[in-house]
Amino acid sequence: MSERQLAEVFVEMADTLVDDFDLIDFLHRLTVRCVELLEVTAAGLLLSDDRGALQMVAASTEQTRLLELLQLQTDTGPCPECFHTGRAVTVTDLATTAGRWPQFVAAASQIGFASVHALPMRLRTEIIGALNLFDTRPGALSADTIRLGQALADVATIGLLQTRAISRRETLAEQLQTALNTRVIIEQAKGVVAERRQIDMDQSFVLLRTLARSTNRRLSDLSRAVVEGSEVF
Amino acid sequence: MSGDRMTRIWAQVARQARGAAVSVAHVCAAVVDGVGVDGAGVTVMVSPTVRETMTATDTVASGLEDLQLMLGQGPCVDTFVGGGPVLAVDLRSPECLARWPAFTPAALDIGARAVFALPLQVGAIRLGALDLYRGRPGGLNPAELADALVFADTAGMLLLDAAAGTQPDLTELAWQREGPRSYHAVVHQATGMVLVQLGCAVDAAFARLRAYAYAHDMRLRDVARAVVERRLRFDPDPAPERSADDAS
Repeated sequence: MSERQLAEVFVEMADTLVDDFDLIDFLHRLTVRCVELLEVTAAGLLLSDDRGALQMVAASTEQTRLLELLQLQTDTGPCPECFHTGRAVTVTDLATTAGRWPQFVAAASQIGFASVHALPMRLRTEIIGALNLFDTRPGALSADTIRLGQALADVATIGLLQTRAISRRETLAEQLQTALNTRVIIEQAKGVVAERRQIDMDQSFVLLRTLARSTNRRLSDLSRAVVEGSEVF
Repeated sequence: MSGDRMTRIWAQVARQARGAAVSVAHVCAAVVDGVGVDGAGVTVMVSPTVRETMTATDTVASGLEDLQLMLGQGPCVDTFVGGGPVLAVDLRSPECLARWPAFTPAALDIGARAVFALPLQVGAIRLGALDLYRGRPGGLNPAELADALVFADTAGMLLLDAAAGTQPDLTELAWQREGPRSYHAVVHQATGMVLVQLGCAVDAAFARLRAYAYAHDMRLRDVARAVVERRLRFDPDPAPERSADDAS
């Protein structure tokens, strides 16, 4: 990737962080940029639920099998390991690691992934989640790519904390819980749209996101309106 | 791990019930001991604009609920709107006074110093809030917060199932196996689909999914997957639903 391309991404992300921005859409875009810049196949973000587990909050594609793979890591997998140790976890070849997280490795291999990386989302001394990168090719990421991936994970953290200045641990917990609940509203809305239009969940997400953009509304607000029935889709 | 936390917390709630049907009052009693607060109360949402206090462990807790309902401001009100917890660790702080100018002095007057409001919500389903208070300042530590959130999950599922007319026993296998809350995206997607199939509200759709899982001794996420994969449909008439096993 060129330096210019890189600069453009950071400017785009900084531009998004205005008052009342759409957090889930921001995190979704960030994972899409991760795929482009880091030259991986897929990316996802998991956040701490403050109950001791991780929950999926955004992914580069909303394909069900990727979302399910991310969710498999509620308690075990590379992301929980990264979350609990605070260190990057790299699996260069899933084929040789089946014993470590059998369920996760089987599901990842089935999709066709060969390597996986997890980078911590850090806030000062706390770890609040992890950025998960998947590749269909085995092998390690270069030191430069890891550094860039970490920078993108840090941008995700900033985005999460942006809606209110985080001066207390309490506010962090409030933000994490709100983000995870918003994600649930989006899943409920995907279901409504999928059933009304007889389409799949991925198409449903794209429709919701396109409508939110074209009408200049937050994805979370539109999703709530769809679920509550005030927006017929 | 989170599963152990759930099991421990259900045991604490069930102990309060002493063999009777478990209610949110038992959750309130258990959370007071469990996370070291002085009192707890639950406010439920009767309609989008009407809320009422359902239960409170003492007069300070019920006073806090009344104040917020009367003044239309406070941590519980914010938790309804925002969908995340609101943790006011010291009501004497200038931030609290600025955020809730009428509620803060009134709450201090009746003896509260820290207030923690936890949403009873599942996405767009807004059931109510669990409010905890302390007579002294200070936050919940991470373990207390984690426990408090699971107590809130439990209260939320009890309200949801009670409204739908199902009264699960906390010792029931379905709860033990899956937890009162399933974060699996497929469960929430299925809720949205069932909402359309039944033409009902989102809370009723979620309750129907859960009731189906209990009745068929299936995991909620397996029922949800059958709905999302269009192997199982819910019909508005009371005719028996096609089972996921038959359909697959």
